Amino acid sequence: MPASRFTQTGNYRVRYQQDQTIFATAAEQASLVVGLLLLLTLPFLLTALGLPKTLLRDVNMVMIFAIAVIGLNVTTGYAGLINIGQAAFMGVGAYATALAATRLNLPFFLAIPLGGLAAALVGTFVGLPSLRLKYLYLAVATLAFQVIFEWTVGHLPLLAQGGAIALEPVQVFGVKATFFNHNLVWYYIILPVLVGLALLWRNVLRTKHGRSLIAVRDNDRAAAAMGIHPGTAKLTAFMIGSFYAGIAGGLFAYFQKAVVIEDYTLHTSVQLLAMAIVGGLGSLPGSFLGPLFIVALDRVMGGVSGWISEKQLFPQGVDAATALRPLAFGLSIVLFLMFEPRGLANWWRLVRLYFKKWPYKF
Amino acid sequence: MDLLPQLLIAGVVIGSIYALAALGFVLIYKSSRVINFAHGQIIATGAFIAFALTQAGVNFWLAGLLAMVATFCLGMLIERVFLRRMVGEPIISVIMVTIGLSSVIEGLLHLTPYGAGSFSFTTPAALTGDGITVLGATLGRTQIAGVLAALGLLGAFTYFFNKSTLGITMRAVADDQMAAMSVGTSVERVFALAWAAAGLSAAAAGVILGLMSGLTLGGLSGIGLMVFPVVILGGLDSVFGAIVGGIVIGILENLAAGYLDRYVPGGGTRTVFPFLILIAVLMLRPYGLFGTKEIERV
Repeated sequence: MPASRFTQTGNYRVRYQQDQTIFATAAEQASLVVGLLLLLTLPFLLTALGLPKTLLRDVNMVMIFAIAVIGLNVTTGYAGLINIGQAAFMGVGAYATALAATRLNLPFFLAIPLGGLAAALVGTFVGLPSLRLKYLYLAVATLAFQVIFEWTVGHLPLLAQGGAIALEPVQVFGVKATFFNHNLVWYYIILPVLVGLALLWRNVLRTKHGRSLIAVRDNDRAAAAMGIHPGTAKLTAFMIGSFYAGIAGGLFAYFQKAVVIEDYTLHTSVQLLAMAIVGGLGSLPGSFLGPLFIVALDRVMGGVSGWISEKQLFPQGVDAATALRPLAFGLSIVLFLMFEPRGLANWWRLVRLYFKKWPYKF
Repeated sequence: MDLLPQLLIAGVVIGSIYALAALGFVLIYKSSRVINFAHGQIIATGAFIAFALTQAGVNFWLAGLLAMVATFCLGMLIERVFLRRMVGEPIISVIMVTIGLSSVIEGLLHLTPYGAGSFSFTTPAALTGDGITVLGATLGRTQIAGVLAALGLLGAFTYFFNKSTLGITMRAVADDQMAAMSVGTSVERVFALAWAAAGLSAAAAGVILGLMSGLTLGGLSGIGLMVFPVVILGGLDSVFGAIVGGIVIGILENLAAGYLDRYVPGGGTRTVFPFLILIAVLMLRPYGLFGTKEIERV
């Protein structure tokens, strides 16, 4: 054993019990506490550093997307079921939340979980084809669901035919979200939800339900031979994945103050997939890094195109933003897949390894 | 004038374009098992290259041919630079590469003046004038030419696959890569050719669609999505299936528009009906009408 619990450089597990712990080393526990403290004070840090207040808005977006990406990682990363309809599940959650809030007058802390449950229900139903279909065919089925979802919302008068359904500002512990503190209030609502859901998944992954997903992904016949029912595992994956998406959708609806179909289109689904890929499929840190990267890239490209149109570098009739955003987005996906298929999570792992083993290289 | 024949004919017209678009999609899937999400963007690229050439004063027919040559090279380039590195990677990675490429091509098209707004070809002189009336439905000359061109290309491709050595080689690779390799076939060359042929047929589909219903980036790349119901219905790896599937989906979507729209507030069943068929086919017969049955159940 190492001299101190905090300078442990490797794995000294000798019992299964130790292997099942969430945190391998005490240093990990400590870094989590530090990380959480940093996150808790982040809004004030941003102000103290003199960064623009709108940055908090982007941080909120990243966190909401992170919830949806964790869900997508459950279905696509851990269970290996390609899902090109995650945004539609987000949409189901968002619309269910909106209906619960506007028609049933439920408060937000009930409406959002209700949205999650509605999405889980729909997700399980959409997951049914996964009992028969695999790989590409399942991908096409979820794509079809995405298209059908968009069309259906666009034709339902109940859902304003895809137009905006406005949501009232919320009140938490006597603090009312107004125009001025909207981002701040929602930061402290989204953060605990994200941390809670991430911990929940981390723990589910240690149970037999979580590990059976990985077993089914790697070889469903072998999994079946070991007594795992692949069908149940796949449906569980869809259920959990769409529940996370639904919660993310509900939060997004409140955060945007309205539900509009444009937020939950195929484009968003592709973005979520890109976040999962760039972050690293089947990894929890990747689920945070991916959204961070894609949202940051989008903002940077927005800034660059603003600068380009200001200087009029492009000919008339060419909008820099509409050109550069998809270009950078697509290139980042392709380059990551070609040169770093394990995503940012792998970089994160290498950085951690470096500090863990410091001053030794290996 | 009856509604039914009109719908049928409109269905065949749009269906033959779907078939041509699906053909390229099937070619790629058949040879390399890659699902190409960038197909719609390649179609748009082909159409806009042809349009740019006509704007520069090139004859319409020549412009169409040059566009086909250009996308032929584009397809080969995409395969060489991006897809060849992805051989053996998981399916999700390959799918995401093509999705990423679709985004890249879209961005590049937005860099040209054709990204925003709608354009239309000047109808060539041979195609102006009266059309013919079939079963009480009037067909313009552009539509007739479009259908004929589509069917001609489809026929040429079918002939190529069945008779020429190269076509037979491609089928051999599609059938069994290992076996084809062991008799001395260059699998890489076949992959490249499949992408090139897909690019060529995509440009043809784009130019024909552009001639019939105008050029917009969204409208042209949207065909890339409509290809999915077609290929699933026809069978992902069947060229003949793509042709039949294209025409059937074209007809069915027009029938839906003609008969179901009145029952749906807001109408527009045309866009969603093919995807309902897709789901039904996936549930009942996932390998499609003419596809190879290879799905295993768990």
